[in-house]
Amino acid sequence: METSKKPNTRGILDWFDPRGRNVGGWGFIINRLSAIGLTVYLYLHLYMLGKLAQGPEAFDAFIETAKQPAIMFGEMLVIIAGLYHGFNGLRIALNSFGIAVPAQRQLLYGVVGITLIGTVVFGVRMLTTH
Amino acid sequence: MQNTLSQPKPGESYLLWLIKIVSGVLIFAVLIIHFLVNHLLAPNGLLSHAEVVAYYRNYPIVPIMEGFFLVFVIAHSLIGSRSIVLDLRPSPALMKVLDYLFIALGLFATGYGIWLLFAVINFGL
Amino acid sequence: MSEEKWTVKFVIFRKKGDQPARYDSYVLEVDPEEYVIDGVERIWAFHDRSLIFAHACHHSTCGACGMRVNDVEKLTCITKIRDVTTNGGTLKIEPMRNFPIIGDLVVDMTRMYAAMDRVHAKAVHPLSAAPLEGEDIRPPRDVPRNNGNEYLRLADCIECGLCISACPVAGTAENYLGPAVLAAAQLQGLKHNPDLLDVVDCADGLWRCHSAYECTAVCPSNVDPGWRIMDLRRQVVGERLKRWFVKA
Repeated sequence: METSKKPNTRGILDWFDPRGRNVGGWGFIINRLSAIGLTVYLYLHLYMLGKLAQGPEAFDAFIETAKQPAIMFGEMLVIIAGLYHGFNGLRIALNSFGIAVPAQRQLLYGVVGITLIGTVVFGVRMLTTH
Repeated sequence: MQNTLSQPKPGESYLLWLIKIVSGVLIFAVLIIHFLVNHLLAPNGLLSHAEVVAYYRNYPIVPIMEGFFLVFVIAHSLIGSRSIVLDLRPSPALMKVLDYLFIALGLFATGYGIWLLFAVINFGL
Repeated sequence: MSEEKWTVKFVIFRKKGDQPARYDSYVLEVDPEEYVIDGVERIWAFHDRSLIFAHACHHSTCGACGMRVNDVEKLTCITKIRDVTTNGGTLKIEPMRNFPIIGDLVVDMTRMYAAMDRVHAKAVHPLSAAPLEGEDIRPPRDVPRNNGNEYLRLADCIECGLCISACPVAGTAENYLGPAVLAAAQLQGLKHNPDLLDVVDCADGLWRCHSAYECTAVCPSNVDPGWRIMDLRRQVVGERLKRWFVKA
């Protein structure tokens, strides 16, 4: 009988499909999505900072446009991504050197908790100072 | 038995992973400093060109910190992006090309960032 | 056996050769204390003899009957129907992911078996490396010790492949060794098996793992490949760094 050589998988879709997965699978998905998001943000940020070299007109004008709700929402996403990716990264760093591995699931819940709390704190700050 | 099954081959080793983890932890530390310095301690939160230039000139430790931050972030981001690409297992030939592209992108971004730091400090001088 | 009877719809993945995949539905009367494999077997026996599926021991020793039940990796001989559905509910039965499908619910496990050979996975391990699940469990009588040192026991891994099916990366990385294999390497230890260092410290080895811990979540047999892979990372870094300082 001819066996198809291709494995039973949907490739990249399986990276991001949470159905049937446990909490750790969600942890992987959010980590990867936040990594991609932060990488995109990195280059946007470097581009934006380039306006400093162009002078006050360019930079200050940009800061004004950055107060639009759409941009501020984008910045909130960056905060959420940064919080989650950073704290989960610390969790993985600890685990990878044998620290707290039996508690890895609880640590993940802690990471999510810190991310939510941090999001609220930064969100409030953002809304009240602008 | 499949011959392609995990022969030790170039493409990834403990060293790149270790750099990713170490740079990640360093980013965590420096990011806190970056946030405090740029948004909490800076007068007015650095929302205008003049403020940024003055701040960077008066406290040279800030652009130095930003320089290190830049290197850590680019290293971590590019090694991480490379890992995602490696998960798709491109052919060794394609991976070599991609590796050059990653290195080129990293050098370019770092160079641009360092140039930018000097450009800001020296603006108008 | 209780007298309770449930009505459950089994939706079975079917695929033969190059024909497109489809799902066949069968409504069965089952005892909820029965296992999912019992339902599949009854479908084969009384409804469709062309259904192929792998099964042997029916008591979680052989590792043959791994499948996905309602999108979750399960060893179907120890998965009670009561635990995965309700009376009047549906059971979607599909083959494991990340292996080539031979037909219906059967997959080609070569990638795992070949990789197990590659790390010369051992059948027995010292008790310290592979402790029994639960507190203070000891062998019930005097059994031979390993050179007078430690008890040996059979490795927990039954090579069912559920961990590889659950791993998010094993689909795109077809030659990734996988959790079961890395766990088998970790059980032997890199200190006493330095030839394994190059096998695991490479692109298709350790570094394809991204700490999803899905493998640990679905393992039916106490292997905990997740923490074993973490431990292996530590061992690899330790061994490699040592070599920088000690030119052996």
